[in-house]
Amino acid sequence: MFKNIFRTTASLATRSVVITTRPTYVAPSFIRLYSASALNKEDVTKRVVDVIRKFDKSLANSQIEPKSLFHKDLGLDSLDTVELLVAIEEEFDLQLPDKVADELKSVGETVDYIISNPEAN
Amino acid sequence: MGAVGPTRIEVLHLYKQLIKNSRLFNDYNFREFFLRRSRESFKANKHLNDSQAIIDCYNRGLEDLSVLKRQSIISQLYTFDKLVVEPLKGSR
Repeated sequence: MFKNIFRTTASLATRSVVITTRPTYVAPSFIRLYSASALNKEDVTKRVVDVIRKFDKSLANSQIEPKSLFHKDLGLDSLDTVELLVAIEEEFDLQLPDKVADELKSVGETVDYIISNPEAN
Repeated sequence: MGAVGPTRIEVLHLYKQLIKNSRLFNDYNFREFFLRRSRESFKANKHLNDSQAIIDCYNRGLEDLSVLKRQSIISQLYTFDKLVVEPLKGSR
């Protein structure tokens, strides 16, 4: 019974020796490159607009531009804006700090903030 | 002298928290119910002027938020089957 254990540990030991003495370093076949933000402005704008269109059916066909203001151009009240920003948070997997969220008034500002936020994806 | 009520920003933050926590529910029926309830109760009281009434509503909202936080976590401990009305992941 114990003999078996010794045999396996012995074979493990020799095997590990083989590994540690392997002379050449094999480079991994792929390298992951991380950057601060992999998002470009066009994509972010498109996704934000999609979230807005999905958020309120009445906006589905209206013109949504970066300079559109949530309140004036999109006809959202302050509660709707809060809710829209929560939906955007979910889409980009980030947390908007309350202070930032209170200041966001237009589609463009939101896009700019998302691009500047390294957590967004 | 009436007591000082919550500011506009504070009310909006409460609303945000309620919406966020409602969205955490796994079960479609609970999730939609709390979202609907949050939206409707805030919209119904948006013209409230009396500061005491605002304070009462705000405090009720805070109580509901604490219940919501607890229940949404409990909801996540159980699995629920998706309903036919729910969009599958990805199509949302």
